[in-house]
Amino acid sequence: MSVKYVPVQWNPNKYLYDAVMLTGVGLFLYVFLYAAPGLLSHERPINQQIHNARAFGACAFVMLTVILCIGPLARLDTRFLPLLYNRRHFGVMTVFVALTHAGYVVDWYFAFSRWNKFEAVLFANTSYGQLAGFPFEAFGIFALFTLILLAVTSHDFWLKFLGPPLWKALHYMIYPAYLSLVAHVSLGILLDQQNHVFTAIFAGCAGTVGGLHLLAALKERRIDRTRSGGKGGWVHVCDVSEMRDGFAKVKLLASGERVAVYLNDGALSAISNACAHQNGPLGEGRIIDCLVTCPWHGFQYDVTNGRSPAPFTEKVPTYNLRLDGTSVLVHARPNAPGTYVEPVPLPGTAPETEAMA
Amino acid sequence: MSQAEAILMGLRVWGGIGAVVAAAFLTIGIDRIDADARGAYVFRPLLIPAVLVIWPLVLWRWYLYETGRVHWHGRYDPPRRSHYLVGWLLPIGICALIVTGLLQRQSWPADVAPVQLSIPTEAVE
Repeated sequence: MSVKYVPVQWNPNKYLYDAVMLTGVGLFLYVFLYAAPGLLSHERPINQQIHNARAFGACAFVMLTVILCIGPLARLDTRFLPLLYNRRHFGVMTVFVALTHAGYVVDWYFAFSRWNKFEAVLFANTSYGQLAGFPFEAFGIFALFTLILLAVTSHDFWLKFLGPPLWKALHYMIYPAYLSLVAHVSLGILLDQQNHVFTAIFAGCAGTVGGLHLLAALKERRIDRTRSGGKGGWVHVCDVSEMRDGFAKVKLLASGERVAVYLNDGALSAISNACAHQNGPLGEGRIIDCLVTCPWHGFQYDVTNGRSPAPFTEKVPTYNLRLDGTSVLVHARPNAPGTYVEPVPLPGTAPETEAMA
Repeated sequence: MSQAEAILMGLRVWGGIGAVVAAAFLTIGIDRIDADARGAYVFRPLLIPAVLVIWPLVLWRWYLYETGRVHWHGRYDPPRRSHYLVGWLLPIGICALIVTGLLQRQSWPADVAPVQLSIPTEAVE
């Protein structure tokens, strides 16, 4: 969270997450290099440098595949949410693995070039007008540069400085990067495979990423249709009987913004559904002691004023509410972040403070 | 100068300007626009690579903060609507690329006669 920036925020959960990730990377490289060369057609004579390049390239592809599966999995089933928690370390590690792959390739294939080896990468193959023999290296370079861009802008400072929407939009480049990586493999190593195990693994990984994103998008569209509200002014959210204490109902406004309306100790409060950190879905968090916790990274907000508890300084917009009979209405215009709004008591209940007085 | 040389030269110039922007932003600008960065110095070297890459964006946002033009409304509008578009484009793109790759294979589903794609380098030289 905020207060003062530190290089990397560590805690026991992150240590565990990173330990599992590093073990996985080590295990993958060991299996690729020593345990399964026959399975992946490496029985053909290739030297260790090329073998290493392939191992790190395959590892980077699998890591990116796993990273991209986490998002839609968490949208499809909340049990996968813990995997989102420390995904940025996963991404940064992927960049190092991908750079190692690129290093092995450039240092081997262009070692004796008469020109600068990085220049040689750019003009060694310029057959851009044909599919067969297309310079697939260009796709790899684009993917690598994009991954580097995302890794170097992954610190919390950049989130705050650029603002979550711009930061998120920048990080949407992960999708063209992944497509570029698929093209890098499809028009590269895939053309030369005699053993179809590699083809099946590659297509299975990429197909899983595509399939999960489609399923999550369809599910989200279905939910949004049931949430969408009218234009301007007061918008119907739900009936009071549908509210559960400690939980929220999320309403999609005509502006595209989502409002999370909570029932807390018999009274209603509404804040933006977008967390100030990475715009995580606050409406999916549960209230404990008047604070809702973002399910993505654990940021907390008081639902009556949208402020994080001291010493943290994050704020989200609040919304005005009123009851029309048993109908819960929210005003479509948000209040400035951190604005206190008096909770609206449900009929037949009184806020604790009044009851005590 | 070849095109490859020009691209690498362009990258060096881009990074050079980025280094100047990084020096100014991380010593002067960051303290002016973010209270959480005041007194925090250890994390700043970590920001240098990003400034080298996105320095025009850094300059633009710095200007917006200095002139008070950063509006809070813009911070709470995540591009989640794009999920639907991505949900379709990603699987379609992946399928198209894999099928294209498989169709270009010269040894699958059956071996085909080799085709010379371009003039050998030795012949050009």
